[in-house]
Amino acid sequence: MTASVHPELDLTVSRIIRAPRATVWNAWADPASFERWWVPAPTVCRVREMDLRAGGSFRTEISEDGLAFGPHITGCFLAVDELERIVFTDALVAGWRPAEASFVTAVITVRDHPDGTEYTATAMHRNVADRDQHEELGFHDGWATVIRQLAELVE
Amino acid sequence: MAQYSTTLDGVFQAVSDPTRRAVLGRLGAGPASIGELAAPFDMALPSFMKHIGYLEKTGLIRTRKTGRVRICTLERGSFDLIEGWLRDQRTIWAGRTDRLEQFVTATPDRHRDKETPA
Repeated sequence: MTASVHPELDLTVSRIIRAPRATVWNAWADPASFERWWVPAPTVCRVREMDLRAGGSFRTEISEDGLAFGPHITGCFLAVDELERIVFTDALVAGWRPAEASFVTAVITVRDHPDGTEYTATAMHRNVADRDQHEELGFHDGWATVIRQLAELVE
Repeated sequence: MAQYSTTLDGVFQAVSDPTRRAVLGRLGAGPASIGELAAPFDMALPSFMKHIGYLEKTGLIRTRKTGRVRICTLERGSFDLIEGWLRDQRTIWAGRTDRLEQFVTATPDRHRDKETPA
């Protein structure tokens, strides 16, 4: 698959984790495990729905005090390749229904590595400038281009 | 995210115009007077001042009057804001990866699912 890379909108975190690939996968795919690491303590994460298949619901909640929970991620999985890849977005909710608002599409991959597992998370963010007045302003270049230009200009 | 959005929108609108981008580019080299900044543009001064006003309002530049001349300076904090937003996202994902690593390496596989969260 080819995808355009927007350095100002995308980020990738990659790590060699000293654990078998199945262990890393299960930490993601098992809701009880996922809740243990997804958010930093003392914030508590609760998985409401984790239907690991394309179009399956992905819904989590978080709480600061462990009592009152509020929405965190409300989205759906776009692709789930067992022991290889998970793609989710909040641009769509369960059954690919368009979401009210969107922010991110994330691609998680796990690969065998001599020292364990190569874990990679890539998050692609919405162009926050790409909103109502996009056309009106003639802002066709997009955020990425403009910011790159600006960075060159001001440095 | 929300706290960044309003400010970021203003910043992006400010830089969506070629004249304003050119002004920012010039100011990247150092402070300049309105006269110097306006010189390259075939534009009436009131129109040019609107661009300056927009950049000042969104916090991308500062202006100060010295005698009869108004000097414009680039406000680098606004650019930090744009970078800061992505940096925050990176911190979140790096933290997640740290905790995942900790979780899978510190917790014996066979016990993991049965443990009660502390």
